[in-house]
Amino acid sequence: MNNLLELSEVTKRYDAGLPPAVDRVSFSCLEGQILAVIGSSGSGKTTLLRIIAGLEMPDLGRVTLNGETMNSQNECVPPESRDCSLVFQDYALFPNMTVQQNVAYGKASKNNSELIDRLFDLTKIGDLKNRYPHQISGGEQQRVALVRALATQPSLLLLDEPLSHLDPELRNNVRCELLNIFRVTNTTALFVSHDTEDALTMANQVVVMQNGKAVQIGSPMDVYSNPSNSYAAMLFGKTNLLPRELIPSAPYSFLDEDSGKELVSIRPHQWMVPTSTGNENMPSFTGTIRSVNPKGAHQEIVMETETTLLTIHFPRVFSAAIGDTLTVVFNKDS
Amino acid sequence: MAEVLWHLGGSSDNWDHLKETVLGRYLKGSVILVFGTLILSVCVGVSTAWLVVCCEFPGRRFFEWALILPLTIPTFIAAYAYFDFLDKLTPALIWVRLNISPDAMITFGDILRYAVTILVLSFVLYPYVYLMARSAFSRQGSRYLEASRTLGHGPFSTFWRVALPLARPAIVAGASLVVMETLNDYGAVQHFGVPTFTTGIFRTWTALNDMPGALRLAAFLMLFILFILLIEKLLRSGARYHGDKTTGLAFQRYSLGKFKTFAAVFCCIIPLAFGFIIPVTRLVLWAFEALENNFDKTHFIKLTLNSVGLAVAASLAVAITALFLVYVARYFKSYIIHVSNRLAILGYSVPGAVIAMGILFVSGQINDVFDFIITGSLLTLGFAYLIRFLAVAWQSIDSGMERNCEQYNEASKSLGASAFISLFKVNVPLLWNAVLVAGLLVFIDIMKELPLTLILRPFDFETLSTRTFDLAYQSQIPESSVPALCIIIAILVPVIWLNRKMESE
Repeated sequence: MNNLLELSEVTKRYDAGLPPAVDRVSFSCLEGQILAVIGSSGSGKTTLLRIIAGLEMPDLGRVTLNGETMNSQNECVPPESRDCSLVFQDYALFPNMTVQQNVAYGKASKNNSELIDRLFDLTKIGDLKNRYPHQISGGEQQRVALVRALATQPSLLLLDEPLSHLDPELRNNVRCELLNIFRVTNTTALFVSHDTEDALTMANQVVVMQNGKAVQIGSPMDVYSNPSNSYAAMLFGKTNLLPRELIPSAPYSFLDEDSGKELVSIRPHQWMVPTSTGNENMPSFTGTIRSVNPKGAHQEIVMETETTLLTIHFPRVFSAAIGDTLTVVFNKDS
Repeated sequence: MAEVLWHLGGSSDNWDHLKETVLGRYLKGSVILVFGTLILSVCVGVSTAWLVVCCEFPGRRFFEWALILPLTIPTFIAAYAYFDFLDKLTPALIWVRLNISPDAMITFGDILRYAVTILVLSFVLYPYVYLMARSAFSRQGSRYLEASRTLGHGPFSTFWRVALPLARPAIVAGASLVVMETLNDYGAVQHFGVPTFTTGIFRTWTALNDMPGALRLAAFLMLFILFILLIEKLLRSGARYHGDKTTGLAFQRYSLGKFKTFAAVFCCIIPLAFGFIIPVTRLVLWAFEALENNFDKTHFIKLTLNSVGLAVAASLAVAITALFLVYVARYFKSYIIHVSNRLAILGYSVPGAVIAMGILFVSGQINDVFDFIITGSLLTLGFAYLIRFLAVAWQSIDSGMERNCEQYNEASKSLGASAFISLFKVNVPLLWNAVLVAGLLVFIDIMKELPLTLILRPFDFETLSTRTFDLAYQSQIPESSVPALCIIIAILVPVIWLNRKMESE
């Protein structure tokens, strides 16, 4: 497969007195790939998306789409001339147009009536054609925005926090729908999200953004289990960051820039109670339980050892009470 | 208004004569003037607003605020600044008479008269549309325009298909202000000799001494305005034109090529030149000329004090009344109060001449009943300003109260505070800014006002605007430029301050 999108040392600074919003970011996206750019608020992910869409001009670096350079020293290919389409975070459906008119609005959508009909069927919004955006639900608006963008048959589909406005139940359904649509329409997509679950369930490749920099690029599972720094580790939920020497058997570690120490990231579910066989040689941690919080199918236990606090997820059937003494070991197979 | 409308079916000695000879001309003149001014003002206002909000070109930031400057020039003063414009076209009229026919010259002369009046009115009234459209384009924010661009549409297509339809309610609101100001105008149309309802009302009343006939003309004008208000209502209804919220993201403006940059600067400089630079330059030159000749400075200072004093006192009274009305309506949430508020602000749609007729009639009856003469007093004039400009203050204070005070009033009620305490301890401190804006807007309007002041002022009481009108009426155009410039200077400061405030908001 060829590189559809390539970013090389892309930099964008809004204010001379402030650090860059995007700082020397380089990565590429293959045809057919679904790439997620994740990071917390202000990490530069939306700016990056807008640079790719042509809505912002980078100060430095190069964006290449379909082998064509999108920006030079002072000139930039305008958004309307780029072979990509953007689904906005709040959908940006034109309030004065019906669903049908919104979908047919794209310049390249005019001759794609068959594709539009297929997309309407696929997203099950054919009945809403004559409604205005304010007359349909958030989930339906999201689908209309998606169909509008796909109807132009872009080489690259860009999505800005596509699921952030949906409630959790709807979000799971829409994730499946999106994946199905991308698969059926053979779409290359790049989306930004602050929700790592979106990245874990939908993306083939993940770019982790921190303070404008791409701090890690890899597959979702790779980033999850082998984070490049403590920020990337904590982005995917709770974790225990422990010095490497405490758990020499942990498969991955990283150098923490703040402390200068080599750390390992152990997720709360990666602990177990030592059994009689198999983990005699594993380093164990013994401490006092400080809190027990039920979390649905499991419970979250916070245990205080002599050196640190550990967060542990055990099944609800495990009997634990505040003040009890507990011993756990790292479960390398989890 | 009821008093005026009552006379729709009344009798008058000259009515048959008026109906046969001039009513049709007044209607035709008003319609041509309104539609001509409306079309030109909307074209200029919308195109310049789009350019300064969405395109990048040299001088954009300057034009962004400079384009509102024609707002400082009252229509009648703009007309005086171009007083000799028609004279300069006389050779063309002579050519038509000699080469075509005398009848063709008359027709051509009428066309020129209308064209010049429409041009003059449009170049000083377009800022109403410009301000509304600029605000609408800015509020649309980046998202719809960016969405259009990412779907492959260039600037022109995005303007026609997205920005313009979304800004339609704001443009219609601005356009309706242009229509009301055009119908309200007396000085400019009288100067260029265009027959309209307003000139007809004055002529019937003063020249024919026929008050019932003038009232009946005013009633026809009211019907015309009600028809326009109905059209405005229809145009603003229908599909939804705004989203749920706007984004704070700055729009990356379209960068223009060399030719388009030149065209953009040209589009912005023409209305600014004709609406402000040329008239003000001519007025300044004439003012120097007048000051060199025996100019009565003492009288002039008295005029300025009269104008500013009257405008300040009336704008204070209007702002306080508006604050009281808005507060009562929002605090008590009564349907009757809401409806009476709406009725009270209808005055802005009614031309000054019509309000003046109505007030004269009512005050005449009060004089008779109470044996106490209020006609021709400052009280009557102040009351007329209140009726005409209450809506201006009301809108500003109402939106301020909606934004700032609604929840605090609820909290104040739940803490057991009385309506009086809530007003003075909660609302007034929070609404101080909105009341100031309301007062300044009314001040600007009163300084520019002519027909109401001309009819209702006390005997021998002059303001800058009535003095400008009188001098121009006596063909002393250079002398009239001094009070005219004073009006412009007095309005300029609040206009620039209000524009900055709008931009920052």
